[in-house]
Amino acid sequence: MTLNLKHPEAETREQRLGTITQWEGCASDLARDSAFTSGCGKAGRGAGGKRLCEQDSPLSQASMCAECIAVTNATIIQDSVVIQHSPIGCAASQSFTCRYYRDLAARRGWEVKNPQSICTNLTERDMVFGGVGKLEQAIRTAWARHRPKVIFVASSCSTGIIGDDIDSTAQALEAELGVTIVTLHCEGFKSKHWSSGWDVIEHGILRRLVRKDPPARQADLINVIHLGGPDVFSPLLEPLGLRVNLVMGGSPLDRLARMSEATATATMCFVLSYLATGLEQEYGVPEVKAPLPYGQDATDEWLRDIARMTGREDRVEALIARERARVAPELARLRRALAGKRGFVAAGAAFAHGLLADLRELGVTVDAAYSFHHDPSTDSGDPRQDSLSHLVETWGDVAHFTVSPDQHFQAHAALQRAKPDFVICRHTGSIAALAGRLGIPVLPIFYSNDGLGYDGLITIGRAILRILPRRRFYQDVAAHSSFPYQRWWKDETNPYALSIPAV
Amino acid sequence: MTSLSPNPAPASCGGSCPLEQVRYACTLGAITSVIAIPGAQPITHCGPGCASKQFHALSGISGYQGGEFQVPSTNMGNREVIFGGADRLDTVIGATLKVMEADLFVVLSGCVPALIGDDVASVVSGYRKRGVPIVFAETNGYQGNNFTGHEIVARAIIDQYADDYAGPVQPGLVNVWSLLPYQNPFWRGDLEEIQRLLDGIGLEVNILFGHSSRGAEEWRQVPRAQFNLVLSPWLGLETARHLEQKYGQPFLHIPTVPIGARETGRFLRAVADFAGLDRDRVERFIAAEERRYYLYLRDFSAFYAGCTSQYQLPSALVVVSDSAYNLAVSAFMIDQLGLVPACHIITENPPEAERAGIVAAFRALSDDSEVPVYFAEDGYEIDRIVRATDLTGHLPIVFGTTWEDELAKALDAPLIEIGYPCTDEVVLSRSYIGYRGALHLIERIYTTVVRAETMG
Repeated sequence: MTLNLKHPEAETREQRLGTITQWEGCASDLARDSAFTSGCGKAGRGAGGKRLCEQDSPLSQASMCAECIAVTNATIIQDSVVIQHSPIGCAASQSFTCRYYRDLAARRGWEVKNPQSICTNLTERDMVFGGVGKLEQAIRTAWARHRPKVIFVASSCSTGIIGDDIDSTAQALEAELGVTIVTLHCEGFKSKHWSSGWDVIEHGILRRLVRKDPPARQADLINVIHLGGPDVFSPLLEPLGLRVNLVMGGSPLDRLARMSEATATATMCFVLSYLATGLEQEYGVPEVKAPLPYGQDATDEWLRDIARMTGREDRVEALIARERARVAPELARLRRALAGKRGFVAAGAAFAHGLLADLRELGVTVDAAYSFHHDPSTDSGDPRQDSLSHLVETWGDVAHFTVSPDQHFQAHAALQRAKPDFVICRHTGSIAALAGRLGIPVLPIFYSNDGLGYDGLITIGRAILRILPRRRFYQDVAAHSSFPYQRWWKDETNPYALSIPAV
Repeated sequence: MTSLSPNPAPASCGGSCPLEQVRYACTLGAITSVIAIPGAQPITHCGPGCASKQFHALSGISGYQGGEFQVPSTNMGNREVIFGGADRLDTVIGATLKVMEADLFVVLSGCVPALIGDDVASVVSGYRKRGVPIVFAETNGYQGNNFTGHEIVARAIIDQYADDYAGPVQPGLVNVWSLLPYQNPFWRGDLEEIQRLLDGIGLEVNILFGHSSRGAEEWRQVPRAQFNLVLSPWLGLETARHLEQKYGQPFLHIPTVPIGARETGRFLRAVADFAGLDRDRVERFIAAEERRYYLYLRDFSAFYAGCTSQYQLPSALVVVSDSAYNLAVSAFMIDQLGLVPACHIITENPPEAERAGIVAAFRALSDDSEVPVYFAEDGYEIDRIVRATDLTGHLPIVFGTTWEDELAKALDAPLIEIGYPCTDEVVLSRSYIGYRGALHLIERIYTTVVRAETMG
C-alpha cells in the first residue's frame, strides 16, 4: 500500500493497517488470523483462518490519545516550537514533556533547558467564533520569541470539531514569516489508538523536514528510528563501518533532513515504521525488513540483513562472533539467576513481541502478555515484519495474549490469571502502578532501547534481578490497600469477561 | 526596586492569550478533586486522552503524588462525535456500577460532549432517580481551569448529593475550603495540618479532601456545619457564597494560609473569635505549639546567624506560583525570616473580581517596602518580569515550579519548587504550613542553599 504524503493528514492506523485494540486468545491464533489480511473488514485477501475481529467492551477506562504522542515527539525535536491549537487541558502534557526533554537532554549531552511549546488556550468564545485568529497570534508569538527553525501546529479534538482550518493559517504565515510550519492533524477522537500519533509526526517529518533533493547517497549512513533514550545502536553498527543517524526520540533537524541521503533505515519498533516505509517509497532508502533485534539469533539476522543491504558482509560474521562471545558469560549467569521465574510482558505490539523474545532467551517463563494494540500488518506489507508470527515460530506460543488499550480493569484480570513473579512493561499508563499494588515487582521500560541487541539481554536481565527483591515492598502495600472493584471482578481472570464474544 | 502595577491581561485575546509553560490544568482537571475524596469515583465523558493527561500532569509527574486512577471514560471516538455520545456514556456508567464500587460517583464531561451537544445531565439524573449516588459536574475543558473546575465539582456534590438539610446547625462543626488538591503538591500534608490545628482549638472539621477526610459521608454533613472557612486568597469563595445562600451558613474568609507561629496564631485566634470558641483552650493550644516551634527556631537561629557556616544566605524573594502558596510563603519569608520582597507573580489567572483583594493582601505583608505583585500565566512573560527586577546587592531565592529552573540558574539562585509542575520533588505527607510545616519548609530551603554551595 502506498502512503499518501500529498495530503496534510495521515491516514489512521486502523485505515491503513487494520489495527485493533481489543482481542483475547493465544498468540498463535492472533498471528494466524492477522496473516496480513488488513483486518476484519477486508477478509479473504490473505491466508487468515478467520476474519480478525475485535472484541467490544461495555466498560472503558481513560486511556491516551494520538495528540499526546504526536505533540510530545514534535516537542523534543530541537530548534522547534510546538503550538497546541486547543483548550488549555491538552497542554497539560507540557509538564511531562518538559521532564522528558530535560532528562533526554542530560542523557544525550545536549543543553538542559525547557522545551518550547505554546497552547492557543481556546475558550468558549473561540469555540463559538473559531480559533484561527488565536492560532495566528500564537504562530507570530512563537516566531517573535524564539526564531525557531520549524513550527509545528497540532490540532485537537475541539479544533477538529469546530473545523478550524489550520493548514491555511500555517501556509499563509509560512509564506509571510519565512519559517517552515508543519501541521499535525492529531484529533484524539479520530483514531481509536494513540499510536496513530506516531504516524502523524512521521507524516509531518516526511512531508516537510526530510531533504527532498538529497545531494548524494551516503553509503555509510544508516537511519535508525527509535523511541528515545541512549544510543545503543552505534556500538553495534560502527564496527561495520556504518554511521548511525539516530532519529525520533529527540532529533536535531539536520538529522531529519539527511535521512533521504542514507543507505538504509532500521526501526527499533515496527510501530514506528511509517517513516521508514515513507523513506523507501519517496527516496529509495531501503527499510531493513529483518525481524527486530531482540535476542541473539534475531540480532544476528538483523546485522546480516544490514550488512547485505550496505555491502558489508565481509565484516559481519566476525562482529557477530565477537559480540556473542562477549556477552556469553554474563548471559549464562543471568540465565542461572532467572531460572524458574515467571514474567509478564505489557507493551505496545511489536515492542511487546520483542520483550517476550528477550525474556524467553533469558530463560524466563512467559505464558501471558498484554499488548496495547495490534497491527495485523505493517506499512511495507512485508511478511518479514510480522513480528508476532516471528515470535511464535521462534519461541513458541503465548497461551494468554490480551490486546487492550491500557485498560486497568482488564490488566487486573490478566495479572490475576498469570500471577507472574514480575511484570515488565512500557512505562506509560496504568500497568506499573497496578502490578505494584498487586504485590508484583515491576520493571518499567522508560527508554525503550533497553532490550535491543546482545546487550539488551544483559540490560534487561540485570534490571529484572534488581527489581525482584522489591517484592517485599509491593506485597506489603498490596496487603494494606485495595482497588475499588467489586469482589467478583477482583477475582475475575478473564480480561474480556464483560464482553460479548467476538464473531 | 522597580514596581510595575498589577498587569491586566491584554484585551486582544479576551483575557486568555496563548500560553507558554502551562501552570494549571483545564476544567476537567478537577477530576483530581474527585480522586481527592476518599470513596469517590470519577467517570469521565470526554476524548480518549483527556482525563489521563490531566491526572498524569497534576499527580504523576508533579510531586509524584500517585493516587487512584482507574477512571471509567467513554474515550469518545469518531462514532460518538458523529452520532452523539450519550448512549456510550449510559453503557459505561452501567458497566461501572456492575464492576466498580464507590460511595459516590461523579461524572465529569469534557470539551467534546459540550461541542456536539450531548445531554449528559439527563443520562446521569436517570441513574440518580434510581437511587445511585451519582452526580454530574459539567467541566468542559474550554470553560476555565482546574481551579474553577474544583468549585464546579464541589457545587455538584453539594447540590446533587449532600443532604437537603433543614435542621439545626451543629455548633463547632466547620467545612474547610482551602488548597487545591494535586495542583498544590503538598496539599495532603497541609490539609492534615489544618485539620490538626482546628481540632486543637476545639472544632470538629469537615476537611472534605485528602487522607484524613471521612469521604462521602463528610460531604453529607456539609449543610450541618456552623460555618464555612475559606482559607485561601479566593478559591472556595464561590462555594462558600453558594452555601451561605443555600443553607444560611456564614463563612469566614482568611486569605493567607498560615505558615509559622505568628501567622498561625493570628489564624487560630481569628477562627476562634468567629466560631465563639473557648478562648482559654485556644490559648493553651497555641502556647503548647509555640513552645515546640520556638525551641526548634532557637536551635536554627545558630545556623541563621552564621556562626557555624560561611554560606551566603538568600536575602530577596522571588515567588512564582498560584496565589495561595504565593501569599503564604511570601508572608512567612518576609515576616518570619526577614527577607525582602522582590517579585511576586501570581499564575493561576484568578477571577478579575478577586484580584484587588489579592493585591491588598500582598500589600499588607510588609511595612518596610512595597511588595511588587503581578498576574502572569505565560512563562515567557514571567521570565521577562523576573529578569527586569532590580536585585542589586541581593542574593535572591526563587520559589516556583520546574519551569523556573532555567531562570533560577540564570539568577544563580536556589529554587524551591512549591507549585505545579513540580518534577524535582517527591512528596508524600510533607507539609509546609502551620507550626510543623513551617519547620519542614525551613529545612527544605536551607538544605537546598547549603547543597547548592557545597555540591554545585
